[in-house]
Amino acid sequence: MIGARTLRREDARLVRGAGQYVGDIRVRGCLDAAFVRSPVAHGELRGVDLSRVRAVPGVVAAFAHADLPYLPPTPPMLDPGSIEGRPWPPLATGRVRFYGEPVAVVVAGDRYLAEDGCDAAVVRVDPLPVLLDPTEAAAGGVELFPGLSNVAAEREFGAPAGDDVWRDAAIVVEARYRQQRLAHTSIEPRAILVRPEADDGLTVWVSHQAPHRLRRDLAAAFGLEPDRVRVIVPDVGGAFGGKSETWPEYLAIVAAARRLHRPVRWLEDRREALGGPPHGRGQHQRVRLAADADGRILAYELHIDADVGGYPHTGAFVPLATSMMATGAYRIPSVHVRTRAVVTNAAPTAPYRGAGRPEAAFAIERTVELLARRLGLDAAEVRRRNFIRDFPYETLTGFTYDSGDYAAALEVALRELGIEHWRAEQARRRAAGAWPIGIGLCTYVERSGVGEEFGAVEARPDGTFVALSGCCSTGQGHETSFPQVVADVLGVDPALVRLVEKDTAVVPSGVGSFASRSMQTGGAALHRAATKLVATARQRAAEVLHVPVAGVAYRAGAFVADGRSVPLAELAPLRAEDTFDPPEAFPFGAYAAVVEVDPELGAVRVLDLVAVDDYGVVVNPLIVEGQALGSIVQGLGQALYEGVRHDADGRPLTLSLLDYLLPTASELPPVRLAETRTPNPNTPLGAKGAGEAGCIGVPPAVLNAVADALGLDDPQDPRMPVAR
Amino acid sequence: MKPAPFEYVAARSAAEVLDALAGGGTRVLAGGQSLVLEMNARAARPARLVDINRVPGFDRLEVVGEELRIGPLVRHRAFESGRVGGPLGSLLHRVARHIAHPPIRARGTMLGSLAYAHPAAEWPAVAVALDARMELASAEGNRIVPAADFCTGPFTTVRAAGELLLAVHLPLLPPATAVGFVEHRRTQASFATLAALAAVTVVGGRVTAARIGLVNAADRPVRAAAAERALTGGPFDDAAIAGAAATLEHPAGVLVRRALGQARDGD
Repeated sequence: MIGARTLRREDARLVRGAGQYVGDIRVRGCLDAAFVRSPVAHGELRGVDLSRVRAVPGVVAAFAHADLPYLPPTPPMLDPGSIEGRPWPPLATGRVRFYGEPVAVVVAGDRYLAEDGCDAAVVRVDPLPVLLDPTEAAAGGVELFPGLSNVAAEREFGAPAGDDVWRDAAIVVEARYRQQRLAHTSIEPRAILVRPEADDGLTVWVSHQAPHRLRRDLAAAFGLEPDRVRVIVPDVGGAFGGKSETWPEYLAIVAAARRLHRPVRWLEDRREALGGPPHGRGQHQRVRLAADADGRILAYELHIDADVGGYPHTGAFVPLATSMMATGAYRIPSVHVRTRAVVTNAAPTAPYRGAGRPEAAFAIERTVELLARRLGLDAAEVRRRNFIRDFPYETLTGFTYDSGDYAAALEVALRELGIEHWRAEQARRRAAGAWPIGIGLCTYVERSGVGEEFGAVEARPDGTFVALSGCCSTGQGHETSFPQVVADVLGVDPALVRLVEKDTAVVPSGVGSFASRSMQTGGAALHRAATKLVATARQRAAEVLHVPVAGVAYRAGAFVADGRSVPLAELAPLRAEDTFDPPEAFPFGAYAAVVEVDPELGAVRVLDLVAVDDYGVVVNPLIVEGQALGSIVQGLGQALYEGVRHDADGRPLTLSLLDYLLPTASELPPVRLAETRTPNPNTPLGAKGAGEAGCIGVPPAVLNAVADALGLDDPQDPRMPVAR
Repeated sequence: MKPAPFEYVAARSAAEVLDALAGGGTRVLAGGQSLVLEMNARAARPARLVDINRVPGFDRLEVVGEELRIGPLVRHRAFESGRVGGPLGSLLHRVARHIAHPPIRARGTMLGSLAYAHPAAEWPAVAVALDARMELASAEGNRIVPAADFCTGPFTTVRAAGELLLAVHLPLLPPATAVGFVEHRRTQASFATLAALAAVTVVGGRVTAARIGLVNAADRPVRAAAAERALTGGPFDDAAIAGAAATLEHPAGVLVRRALGQARDGD
């Protein structure tokens, strides 16, 4: 059961178009909302005239900030002290700080009519200078929040190396990197349907990753007891970090529904989704690295200016995650990270698949490769000389890596790639004057888990089991993999176990699905709950059989003692639950890419890609491989195709998928997956996080390969058609 | 992304189409692969759409004399499927495979693309390079416009609001014509960054006619006239190809060199 390549149960409905997404939920009398959005990226909001909007046939109501006096401010997700003095009103008042910021909400009989209403709005804005570059914004001059610095949070990790280290080192390499903004681009954009209930409560259907947090936030925002708010997450078409938040639009929809005493829904469209928020990444990095002549790293310095957009509520903590993962797989005696989360006139950022770790891996992995090139050493060998080899390992930035074998993962990657073959091909092409190829590596460490999770298992008299989880599948296949865990503990057919999650009225508590945490924390919680269930039932069985507990054996759904047997079902109903808070885990792996570059047009084609990931114990390899491939494709997107672009006035230029280029099936290179397996020592299940690795491993591997092909220090050179 | 209100007319005949167009504020709906996107973004707000998908005969694709006549409902896909033979068919086939992706090619039309005049669209450059004749119809009658005069800038043509692009007449290429088409773009389905097409007629070892078109190289489709002149009259060899490419700036020269190489090598 654990380790079985079970087909996903949920696919029976999802691939046949029978899934139920928020847009499929039918609620009597439900109205559609659309937002009037700021036409400029920065300005003083002088007036919002909705009188003509309200006259549009089919429009039921239109609200600006002034029309909703009980509209609460947007709560932060994780706040590193950045929001004080920087409130984020769900509908703008005073100032607008990014293009597309909601200014008013229009509620109508359908979305067509709501957009007709939006057309009739008159928004008067006196434009202000627009800041898009975080380093320039940090320098001040124009303040997004008058009287406050544009640097919303600033942190240091580690300590600066002495001048002597930099002076005496055999080599010092310096570089600058850009992590362009990316759009989350889930197939299903954000979506919410709010039905006000007669008892003043709310039922909320929402495409989300953390329903219990949303319940808590909405209850607090509207002064309700949490049990008056029921959050239901139906099928979700992808999230990638963009659906963990309590977005301004959600608050405006709740406020409108309560005001109208009518159900109201908002289904974000692709144009809104690409415009953001959320966007991910968006970092300027400066690095300096000192090493000895053998390539042993002596000191590493990383300066981050993170562009967190117009409000720091959802994105300011992400660069801190980058900071804490700065040194990756390497034992570096001196580390200093200085990070600034800077507000700009772009859409607010949020975690995006990888959430800070891709940015960290990009910086260190590009720099290690640069070091190898400067020293004329093999890039794999430089990595070997610097790998952390003893675990647990405390980093100088404050994490404790639980376990790992980075060298083993790298060796598997080199072997699977056939590094000797590709080096020979590279030499052959150079000699023949053929198009160049390059080979690039990345060895990464990531962080997964974060916090506790709830799990419960119920035995029913009919012999079936119900597993309740506080996690929240947004496409990861929990309905299949969680029953595998429970069935494995119980020794029963997984088909007898049904998963229930994503409804706050049924699952008493929960955290959700992000940070690759579901199996590591939620799966482990279910493992513990199932183990508890057996222990409780064993007590009962001992009573029934009139034998000591120690004399009762459990096998495959039944208790046995003295040749007599009691099925677990006969002891039902029984329930056991657990809230498990394991330490964070640090999955790792090694990626290797081969690219070919058209030297005249600069076009890059990936010829080969090997991904070696170590997720600890894998419950369902089929699901994990699917997630690995998905995140690899998104990693290719970051490396070669995707990037949010703005004009000088801060208007997004990438508001359609004709302009924001996603990799498609046609762009996929041959991908080979391999694994090493280092169990998580801190959970009974042994699983670490899975699902984000490709986004972390692919961009540096591909960019390193481009640099190798062309002998370039900086493959993000503007003349190269890599994404930027 | 919902369109503003509009009136919808499903025309059953050319006359009904022209009637609707004569009323003003009307756009023609053929494949809808560009127009509907614009309408959904409310960048286009036509008062009325006249849908030509039910007009009998509009999907006709036929050789008339020395020309291929293409009607307004001939989809991109028709040129992928090998219905048109000879060097012209071969060129149209190569070009069609570069247009967006199969679902779009199944709906979108060649004439729609020509009338829309997107600077990165492939067909306008084909029409210009091959000296196509564009047949415009209106309630006042029909007129023929040479392709070179048809497109006047990004998204603009000489077509008047009351006119329908009724047909395009592409001259058949002589049998001894080799064709090539090379496109550069970021992903398989994205717009052309730049593309070049070549149709080179070689008789008795000498180039008797060279047609080279460029996509997205200017504010409208253009011919690489200097490259055509450089190639004409001599042998179709490496030196001639290099010489033709050298008349163009980078990277247009690269694409023209590759398109000519593809034509010569027949791959």
